[in-house]
Amino acid sequence: MSDCVLEMNKISVEFDGFHALTDVTCGVKRNTIHFFIGPNGAGKTTLLDIICGKTKQTYGKVYYHPQPEDKKVLTGMKEYQIVQEGVGRKFQVPSVFQNLTVFDNMELSLKGNKKVLESIFYKLSKADYDNINEILELVNLKDKQDIVAGYLAHGEKQWLEIAMQMVQKPSVIMLDEPAAGMGKPETFKTGEILKNIKSECTVIVVEHDMQFVKQVADTVTVLHEGKILMEGSIDDVLADQTVQAVYLGRGGERNAEN
Amino acid sequence: MKMKLRKYFKNILFSIIVLALAGLPFLFVAGFVKSTMIIFFGKCMAYAIIAIGLDMIWGYTGILSLGHGLYFALGAYGMGMYLKLQATGGAITDFMKVGGLSKLPLIWQPFLTIPGMSLMIFLVPGLIAGLIGFFTFKNRVKGVYFSIISQALTWAAYSLFIALSPYTNGNVGITEIQSMLGSIKGNKNVDKLIFLFYIGLIILILVYVIAERLMKTKFGKILIAIRDGENRTYFSGYSVSTYKTFVYVMSAVFAAIAGALFINFNGSITPTAMTISYSVTMVIWVAIGGRGTLVGAVLGAFLINFCEYRFSSGAMVEVWQYVVGLLFIVSVVFFKNGIVGGIYERLCPRNE
Amino acid sequence: MNQIILSLFNGLSASSIILLTSLGLAVTFGLMGVINMAHGEFIMIGAYTTFVVHELFRLFLPRTVFDFYYLLSIPAAFLVSFLIGMVLEKLVISRLYGREVDSLLATWGVSIILQQTARSVFGSQGVAVTSPGFLSGGLKLGNIVFSYNRIFIVALVLLCLLLVWLIMYRSGFGSQMRATMQNRAMAQSLGINSRKVDSITFACGSGLAGIAGCTIALLGSVDSTVGQNYIVNSFMAVVLGGVGKLLGTFLGSNIIGFSGIFVENFTSSSIAKAIVLLIVIVFLQKRPKGLFVVRSRALDE
Repeated sequence: MSDCVLEMNKISVEFDGFHALTDVTCGVKRNTIHFFIGPNGAGKTTLLDIICGKTKQTYGKVYYHPQPEDKKVLTGMKEYQIVQEGVGRKFQVPSVFQNLTVFDNMELSLKGNKKVLESIFYKLSKADYDNINEILELVNLKDKQDIVAGYLAHGEKQWLEIAMQMVQKPSVIMLDEPAAGMGKPETFKTGEILKNIKSECTVIVVEHDMQFVKQVADTVTVLHEGKILMEGSIDDVLADQTVQAVYLGRGGERNAEN
Repeated sequence: MKMKLRKYFKNILFSIIVLALAGLPFLFVAGFVKSTMIIFFGKCMAYAIIAIGLDMIWGYTGILSLGHGLYFALGAYGMGMYLKLQATGGAITDFMKVGGLSKLPLIWQPFLTIPGMSLMIFLVPGLIAGLIGFFTFKNRVKGVYFSIISQALTWAAYSLFIALSPYTNGNVGITEIQSMLGSIKGNKNVDKLIFLFYIGLIILILVYVIAERLMKTKFGKILIAIRDGENRTYFSGYSVSTYKTFVYVMSAVFAAIAGALFINFNGSITPTAMTISYSVTMVIWVAIGGRGTLVGAVLGAFLINFCEYRFSSGAMVEVWQYVVGLLFIVSVVFFKNGIVGGIYERLCPRNE
Repeated sequence: MNQIILSLFNGLSASSIILLTSLGLAVTFGLMGVINMAHGEFIMIGAYTTFVVHELFRLFLPRTVFDFYYLLSIPAAFLVSFLIGMVLEKLVISRLYGREVDSLLATWGVSIILQQTARSVFGSQGVAVTSPGFLSGGLKLGNIVFSYNRIFIVALVLLCLLLVWLIMYRSGFGSQMRATMQNRAMAQSLGINSRKVDSITFACGSGLAGIAGCTIALLGSVDSTVGQNYIVNSFMAVVLGGVGKLLGTFLGSNIIGFSGIFVENFTSSSIAKAIVLLIVIVFLQKRPKGLFVVRSRALDE
């Protein structure tokens, strides 16, 4: 399993008697784009919450292999430590720093220099500056770099947040509904961006937009009521009867093609 | 031009305030202004220093401390004790004798010397703030919960200080103190008063510059990030509680410095400085002046206290209470940016 | 042994007063995300109302009915505090929804104004109220005397608690209130007039504080600062209990009340204050949002 950068082992989460996740065991292969889909309440966001440390699991472990020979246990670490390890998360509702400029948002997201004393004496290096500019170009926000992030449009905030993930050069990026609120062209562009960065990191995505999934996914895992229903390529998943019944609807394949 | 104005606006404003203060002793010597006014503005400078500290934690980081008077008082008591012991020549003070003590208690012994006293003024508030910060921020106690704890802290300290009369002279506090330069009252001591005033001004400038420089670094931006999206900041890899504790301790030390300066001008310190009311009033200076601007805190401190000074006699005292209450309400509900923030937005509006 | 029983009784009495004041605070905080620093002044208003009723009876009514002033002052205190609370909600509180930290400061301003008003009307000297005849003295059991005052207070608080519970969990209004507390937008889209719910809830919370003021009038003299003595304990009870559940406030008040009284047995009251605060801080280590928390999926609530 060492071609997996993340391994979830028997993850179970219970809230006051409600079983959000039950016995989820799954591996995410390195340098792939791995989608988690499923109906609402299936536990997709909860799974991301467990990995990034926002929620504590009731049972199970998450293993992280930044290099094939490394093995770290993510469950139990504090969330900022997990980020420092190279696992980043973009949230469903855009959460950028509203009162700081786009550039500042990027600067704060850079890898390293997270300690108090370091931050006091920090000076932006040329390499970092170039890194930020490169990514801002990629998401079309370069000319807005001095604008206060709170004034950006919804879609632009989404891209800023994705950019803030990318500038960290993480090993794993997790995106929770990145296409939400975007039109077709933007969604397509987001997909292309993800395909571009796949060579340098691994991408986990929770999404509902089937066309986006088709455009971008290498592997798809379907969750239903807290359990894994099926895993495979997008075509296999779309063709599966149970998946259609539970999630896509009878005309599942037809809907996915629209 | 507008960009330059925007960038330097706050510093320009601060420089104006400093120049006005620097000119004050000249007016005094020329007879336009009485010595009480100089002493009053000296106290205001002390207030401005603690206001800067409060702005750092509240305006920038979003930590509302309703008990910062505690650190102010600790600084004042520390300096006050040192000055009192200077007057008694190191011997036990009157109130201690009355309280039944026979020799100088251990806790006050470090205050016999300047190095000892200076160390304690930094150390005691810093340690307390550090402990409070550690036990609250690390456990994600925030927002109103933290404010309530800070309030309870100063409230408990207030009753403790009163109860420990033999050590602290209870309700009366430490009184009849001469400044570090000696007495500043009367015509013979005019030069000492002016000298003390300029020392205070220099300390104010130093504190402002340190704070201003710090807020411009990445550290300062992280504080703003914490204020606007604490969880997001955690998820950007920062140990938020460490940052909060650091800036909280820093502001506590600023408050103590302010208290130590204050008592030189005021000549006494009472436990009133530890009441909740005192601490909350300090926050209002920052709110009205303009939070998150540093110079707004300075302006607010001077402005509100000056108004209070004007309203301090007879029936006006009652009216002033109503005015202050209204100011609290109106500024928080309608004018979140305060005076400086409001002007700043007018002069140089953000690009859309 | 006697000392322990007496401490328990005093602890109960202290807790009940804290409970009465924190109920209003906790519910307002949970419902509207507003913390009312002027809450102590509603206690003061209730106490002064009691005084006014007391004076009216004393000056205008025959001696034989004097003692009944107290029975009248309870609803009077509730009513006056309720009305003033409603006015306050419409003018100030409603503009502070969800702005918890700002509401602390704005309501402090209200507190200053209310205290000064009391001083302007009643003077800065304290006023005293004579306990009604049927409440003076105490119940003697063995060697211990349980003062009727305090027994009455505990009984009154339990009654209020029962009423509040009934309203919150067994009435239509209560369901509306709890719905609005848990999800305002949803409640509104179901036709609940959330603004009305807010006003009435806030006013009721203030009214409860007024009743607390009524009880406090029995225990000592009343001046403009009387509310301040109780407010910090009430805040801490809310911090401990968490927000939104009656049980949390109940437990929190009891913890603060009992621990305060017990520690006072061994040391002075000021050290007791410090120790109670310490207990709260230690408790918050494990539960930074109090005993009962409503969880949310948003990143920054």
